[in-house]
Amino acid sequence: MTTLTIDGQQQSFTPGETIYEIAERAHADIPTLCYDPRLKAFGACRLCVVEVEGVRNPVASCTAKATDGMVVRTATPTIDKHRKTLLELVASENREVDVDPLRGYASQELAMLVDRYDARTGRFRGKASGKSQETDQNPFILRDYDLCISCYRCVRVCAEQEGDHAISVRNRGFETQITVEFDGDLKSGTCTFCGQCVQTCPTGALADRKAIRATELPGPIEKARTVCPYCGVGCSVDLQAKGGKLVGVLPAMDGPANEGALCIKGQFAFDFVQHPDRLASPLVRREDGELHPASWDEALDRAAGGFMKARDMHGRHSVYAVASGRAPHEAAYAVQKFIRVGFMTNQVDNCSRA
Amino acid sequence: MTSPRTQELIEHWRDQPAPLLSLLHALHDRDGFLSDGVLREVARGLRAPLADLYGTVTFYHHFARFPPGKSAPRVCTGPVCRLRGADALLDELRKDGATPMACSGRCDEPIPVLTGDEVHVGVDSASLVNRPTPLPAVRPDGGEECVFGGIRDAGRAKLAGYGGWAALERAVREQSSEQVIATITDSGLAGRGGACFLTGTKWNAVLEAPGEPKTIVCNADEGEPGCFKDRVLLDHDPHAVLEGMALAAYATGATQGFVYLRYEYPQTMPILEAAIAEAEAVGLLGERILGSDFSFRIHVRRGAGAYICGEEGSLLNSLEGKHPFPRNRPPFPVTHGYNDKPTVVNNVETLASAPPIVRNGAEWYRGLGLGDHAGTKLISLSGDIARPGNYEVPIGLPLRTLLDDWAGGAPGGKAIKAVTMAGLSGGFLAGDDFAVTLDEPSIRARGSFLGAGGIIVYDETRDMVVAAHDVMKFFAHESCGKCFPCRIGTQRLTERLAGEAGPASLADWQSEVVDIGTTMKATSACGLGMAAPLVTESLLRCFPEEVEKHLGA
Ligand SMILES: Cc1cc2nc3c(=O)[nH]c(=O)nc-3n(C[C@H](O)[C@H](O)[C@H](O)COP(=O)(O)O)c2cc1C
Ligand code: SF4
Ligand code: SF4
Ligand code: SF4
Ligand code: FES
Repeated sequence: MTTLTIDGQQQSFTPGETIYEIAERAHADIPTLCYDPRLKAFGACRLCVVEVEGVRNPVASCTAKATDGMVVRTATPTIDKHRKTLLELVASENREVDVDPLRGYASQELAMLVDRYDARTGRFRGKASGKSQETDQNPFILRDYDLCISCYRCVRVCAEQEGDHAISVRNRGFETQITVEFDGDLKSGTCTFCGQCVQTCPTGALADRKAIRATELPGPIEKARTVCPYCGVGCSVDLQAKGGKLVGVLPAMDGPANEGALCIKGQFAFDFVQHPDRLASPLVRREDGELHPASWDEALDRAAGGFMKARDMHGRHSVYAVASGRAPHEAAYAVQKFIRVGFMTNQVDNCSRA
Repeated sequence: MTSPRTQELIEHWRDQPAPLLSLLHALHDRDGFLSDGVLREVARGLRAPLADLYGTVTFYHHFARFPPGKSAPRVCTGPVCRLRGADALLDELRKDGATPMACSGRCDEPIPVLTGDEVHVGVDSASLVNRPTPLPAVRPDGGEECVFGGIRDAGRAKLAGYGGWAALERAVREQSSEQVIATITDSGLAGRGGACFLTGTKWNAVLEAPGEPKTIVCNADEGEPGCFKDRVLLDHDPHAVLEGMALAAYATGATQGFVYLRYEYPQTMPILEAAIAEAEAVGLLGERILGSDFSFRIHVRRGAGAYICGEEGSLLNSLEGKHPFPRNRPPFPVTHGYNDKPTVVNNVETLASAPPIVRNGAEWYRGLGLGDHAGTKLISLSGDIARPGNYEVPIGLPLRTLLDDWAGGAPGGKAIKAVTMAGLSGGFLAGDDFAVTLDEPSIRARGSFLGAGGIIVYDETRDMVVAAHDVMKFFAHESCGKCFPCRIGTQRLTERLAGEAGPASLADWQSEVVDIGTTMKATSACGLGMAAPLVTESLLRCFPEEVEKHLGA
């Protein structure tokens, strides 16, 4: 059996595991900024450095594989001082550190680490890096690169998770800039607006444009776990509400079907819920040929009458129901029950199956 | 928009090994720049994501995206050229669209200007001339040399003048792989590209590593400012380098080789190609070399302007057409190199040392060093020195002997105030440090390292804060941007040395500069970020009063 010692504790591990993975299991809270467990470890932020006995320099735990008998210390005064310096450096290149949590799932990571390591010192002032792409007016993704810290999580999630390779890196060094081909808008390239880059961004540099419309709404952000109704994959999502309104969607990192992934529909297509054109009461077509607001009783009676008539004239298979992907799962369930039990037919479908 | 020529080039290169750089160069040579349309066609032709291709092209300083592009002059504004007035020459040539470029490996000459594929050197626009790389001066003490042993012989760049590949012939006819490796190991030869890793150990690791095909990469990127030793070897003794590669291939079982040549050495490309063609014509390269079952081919690939591409992981990514960030280590190239297969990456000088070692034996090479030190090292000497140029020194030679006795000291009888080590990467030595001998243990004891062997000399009139700023600006410009400490640290240190940002009090300035440097040294992902703070560290150690004056100003 292979074991190593992390902060004085023996841990067994499977060869191939990184120090970071084992440390996480051991609840050693190693800070990271460029790490997303779904992506290949990259080794950019260097916050995850740890001391390994017998090795002169600190070791980046996210990329270093554990070896048998290794003795690792995850938080010595020297290591923590490096972390603080790194965080002071990274804070010095940005317009601001504190951003609205509505910007995205990981948007608070930088601010939380800056607090944890007491790095709001204002040291290392100098030129800022990254330039926001203000001309990209797509409705979904704000590209506020003034807040970018070049962790490349967005680039990697787009390539490794989505297979879209829509974003890349222009220039190098301090001039590094996240971009798309020829510095155009997202829609000019292969972006599918899945929002994965937004949700992995640790600073809010990429932000959910729809969600941040609600920045000024009063009250805390509340979350409710549900499943995206749009298709058969069944991605888990956390709906975000603020001031009694649905304001945004977060992918559930622990969603069994999606493990944090979403597509443009699950991520961004929720405006219909609170759309002013949405019906607030049933409408019934009267003799004048126009639709008129009606009571539920009247509307249901009319619908039932129509269904019965069709069934009586043409038999039980004359009825076919298509449930809407925009309706909740409970409604979809009710529709199939209604059709199967009510009409004894299996002619039922859901628009999201197509 | 399909221009057939572009399609032809894509089809020609697509199935060659390491095609991307060569294909991009072919198009860049044709048009002078890489247009959107061309990049779209390349992306389609190579089935590469366009966003990635675009990003990678912008990484390289010498790929132009717009006209006039390649034909516009680039003036070297490296640290030595700035001592010689490069800024004025750049201003003079601005009317022709001139832009600055980082040190281009000609610090022993007047200021180089690269225009298209021609390099001219001069101190002003009237004096610019195109001339071959200067030969090294004869070793002043008459001692025996290794890599410079035959370099001054007439016709040396031709196979006949070189005398045939006697070492390879002996190895292939009489020796096993293990025997060749044993000779190299016993000779004590260590990497001459900077890291000083034992060459025999490296070759042996590749011999033993599973996976094929194995590859030999000759690192001819020579991007370190103040280093120009590989250029003289490549230009005047190309067969020594190629024979060294073939020996490495024979020793490790490699079947393909690349020379990764820096962009700024355009004159070297035809020299290498001619030498490869000569060797192929007589069966020293190609299939079944010398009638044995050893086969080996060498391809030349040209870089496009990126110091970091001399770092071996970055170089391999560049060859593979990927974004040239360094790779996380381990694994090392000896097991996961080119295309993740076992690969030797060796410096030009290291490889050129192999044939004389195999010809003359390990003991001979060891004996060339002084005291316990084995062998020799090329030193590129430049800056304020009477006789700049390349010197092959016995390892262990006192620094002062080289500076004063061999190279004539600073011109005009001035005193030497400081020197850099390892080009720029070793920072400054000054004062007591001048007692060092030219070997790693002695120089490392001073917190520096010999590295690739570039030494830049500053006389007593030079402002060391200005010098340090030049150095840090280079590192900031060349940082790849992958890791935080180096990407931000080199920028912040540059700003502080320029007086553009940072605290005004010495104590606060020093605390910021030291903290940045300490974290860069300890946590950077590659040697660039680890070495860059040696400059500020040595500046504060050797010249605190100059820093104080700088802050007072
Ligand atoms: C930033 C950086 C730049 C480098 N540039 C070069 C170079 O131009 N040429 C070179 O031979 N090695 C260079 N190296 C060292 C290589 O990574 C590698 O160690 C070397 O090529 C191995 O060859 P050797 O063992 O023969 O020295 C560089 C390393 C770093 C970190
Ligand atoms: S939204 Fe999705 S496809 Fe578009 S850039 Fe982001 S990750 Fe890539
Ligand atoms: S935009 Fe966000 S995720 Fe992308 S590199 Fe910048 S900080 Fe990282
Ligand atoms: S140390 Fe500098 S050059 Fe090296 S990987 Fe980090 S950013 Fe790139
Ligand atoms: S998490 Fe390891 S370097 Fe960022």
